[in-house]
Amino acid sequence: MELEDLKSRLKLQVIEYLNLIDIKPEDIKDDEPFFGGSLDLDSIDSLELVVLLEREYGIKIENPQEGRKVMIDINHMAEYILANKK
Amino acid sequence: MKVFVTGFGIISAIGNNVTKNLSSLIENKTGIDKARFFESKFVDDFYFGEVKLSIDQLCELTNHHDLHGFTKTDLFAFIAFEEAIKMANLSQIELSSVDTALISSSTVGGMAETDDLYKDANLLTTGTEHLYSYGSGVHTTRLATQFGILGFSDTINTACSSSANAIMLGAKLIKYGKAKRVIVGGADSISKFTINGFNSLQILSKSKCQPFSNDRDGLNLGEGAGYIVLESSEIVGDKPKYAEILGYGNSNDAFHPTALSEEALGVSLAMDRAINNAKLAPENIDYVNAHGTATGNNDQVELIGLSKIFGTIPNYNSTKSYTGHTLAAAGVIEAIYSILSINSNTLFKSLNCSSPILTDNPPINKNIANTNVNYVLSNSFGFGGNCTSLVISKV
Amino acid sequence: MYIKDLCYISCQTTFDSSFFETDSIDANAIFVSAKEPDYTPYIPKSLLRRMGKGVRMGIGSGMHLLNKHTNISGIILGTANGGLEDCIKFLNQIVDYNEGTLTPTNFVQSTPNAVAANLALMTSNTCYNNTHVNSGLAFESALIDAMLTLNEVEGDILVGSLEEVTQANINIDKLKGWVVDTETRLLHLVNGNTSGSLIGEGAGMFVVSHDKQQALVEVVDIHTVTTEDINSVWKVYESFLKNNTIEEKNVAFILGRNGDEKHNINYNAFEQQFVKGNSIYTYKNLCGEFPTSISFGLWLSVHLLNKKIKKESIYKDVSMDIKQIIIYNQTYNNQHSFLLVKEVL
Repeated sequence: MELEDLKSRLKLQVIEYLNLIDIKPEDIKDDEPFFGGSLDLDSIDSLELVVLLEREYGIKIENPQEGRKVMIDINHMAEYILANKK
Repeated sequence: MKVFVTGFGIISAIGNNVTKNLSSLIENKTGIDKARFFESKFVDDFYFGEVKLSIDQLCELTNHHDLHGFTKTDLFAFIAFEEAIKMANLSQIELSSVDTALISSSTVGGMAETDDLYKDANLLTTGTEHLYSYGSGVHTTRLATQFGILGFSDTINTACSSSANAIMLGAKLIKYGKAKRVIVGGADSISKFTINGFNSLQILSKSKCQPFSNDRDGLNLGEGAGYIVLESSEIVGDKPKYAEILGYGNSNDAFHPTALSEEALGVSLAMDRAINNAKLAPENIDYVNAHGTATGNNDQVELIGLSKIFGTIPNYNSTKSYTGHTLAAAGVIEAIYSILSINSNTLFKSLNCSSPILTDNPPINKNIANTNVNYVLSNSFGFGGNCTSLVISKV
Repeated sequence: MYIKDLCYISCQTTFDSSFFETDSIDANAIFVSAKEPDYTPYIPKSLLRRMGKGVRMGIGSGMHLLNKHTNISGIILGTANGGLEDCIKFLNQIVDYNEGTLTPTNFVQSTPNAVAANLALMTSNTCYNNTHVNSGLAFESALIDAMLTLNEVEGDILVGSLEEVTQANINIDKLKGWVVDTETRLLHLVNGNTSGSLIGEGAGMFVVSHDKQQALVEVVDIHTVTTEDINSVWKVYESFLKNNTIEEKNVAFILGRNGDEKHNINYNAFEQQFVKGNSIYTYKNLCGEFPTSISFGLWLSVHLLNKKIKKESIYKDVSMDIKQIIIYNQTYNNQHSFLLVKEVL
């Protein structure tokens, strides 16, 4: 799968899973930090993203520490998906 | 107006009555183990503070026979309630007097019957036997109607501080003359709903929980119920008085839906308010029954709060290392353990703390017997930042 | 205890004053949904995105008052079911995904104390905070808690209720026989003698105070009882009357009639025994039936005592100067409550 395609799809899924109101995929830059930036997500969102990875890509993250290394921005998530997708 | 404890009853992972709970505490016997009676995908993954009885065995422990549609939560409530009113020697006339109130609490209530609720909510049946059982207030309604309680009745749900708030509100009803006698407590049972909820937050431990240890990695869910009979000094007469509810403090941490603030704002406010309400100073407190869930966040923040209030923390433990986290019932079960410490002059070892977070101020590491326990502080903190502390004293 | 301010989100246009200027909204249905306001002035989008209907109704109405009143020393809510939709969504996930990895938001939002907790969080209020969930008496318990707590705090208290209608509770209540079988006219609800009632939803918030300055009404007393024996209920009512000074010629009644034949029996008996030519009002023909709907009765009593309502909601009205109102409500035939509300002298 093309990385760019994956990122576009991922943005749509992030918006859907987190119910982001009034945010369109083009508003999320690939390196826009999930936490502490303008998206202003929190620890519960990071757990929602764990669910997204499992349900959409079949990737299971059981260790909260590992989750933190992945849920940084769209770039990190997309790369992790490509590396771990079954 | 003083608020005295004249009876109490309990069922938990370490025993089906007060006597059994006390002996388990004295023997440092935990009730946390692999689940035997409960069905979930997770029974082999996690440890639980399960009450070690089947539904049929539970039914035999209550004197009531009309148990159609009863959930485990209801049965726990009835068993502990019956023991409490028996110890306080309450007559039917006293139970049905309009100045006798009942304040219970539960988080999961009858939703413990997760699979039946799924069927009824999605119209897959014409009504399961638990159709009337789901609300968190149902066990209270059942207690009130079956025991003929005609005074004020209430159910509180502030997550894990629920029954501490029930005790607080009961004390307030007596203090301001709205009731002369209040039976307070709470009940919760292990359910798919709570296991999956706590699992989705990744705070369940795959080992026996280790409160206040650097190695802690989450909580164990527990279950059970506890009820305490509170009577006002106006009516108590020369009945045995096991303790006095001396003070209470309630606050909100106003920080995060499921985590406590690093500076322990709500936690220290609740403790501070309780000690002030009891007209005591921190140095009067002999022992703290901590909330001590063994999650990374709770134990760290609670210790920060305790250090703020006390400097050097008095003897403290987490009895969740015996029972697991019994959610709504935790506050009252831990208040009962505090009363048992007061009356047995014994402080119980906090289990599984091999590497204390505070090396020079660790939790109680072996039972302390023959010690005078005059004033106890009992902490309960819940999701949503709901913090409550109680001060319980020797009579 | 005095009520200083109030806000209600219901299936009527009660959030602003247009309710008093327009015809009441009717429906022909088995349940009615609330007219929700635009929440943007009250709830940041980053929080709103997570909230189910009941939670956002509670927080929207609560924040509407908290934005105006800053001297708040307690937040005390009553709700039978809390965020029921989130609860059922989470439940469905447990079964549908066979206890797999589940989304925590539904779990967190489903706990009934999430509303009082969020209000505290959004206003950085570290004061007294409590949530009552005792089915049909949850709001009354919150009021009693507020009365007691006012003895111990300096400022005012926000006390309120919230309840949402979802397909899941319609399903469950239907199985129990609490929902009408066929579509029913809301405004005519109380005249019916049906099996079950028309289900509604709503969130009501009140700023209460021990200070009568700028107060709208006084909440004098609240009695509740849980029993299946109706004679015990009337005994509690008699002790409620004995506790209070009721001026018979100036007291009106608000009854929780919901058109359900099972409840009609008790309301009829109450009228026969205790109402002697006084005005009787009802409110479930405006808001529908739900476990904490008595807060709508309280909302109505505030406006009746302040002479704001002259509309078709009035039922069995006789011309009289109302100075006191007794509200009687029952839920599921075993939870009964009596409230005495008085004009401020």
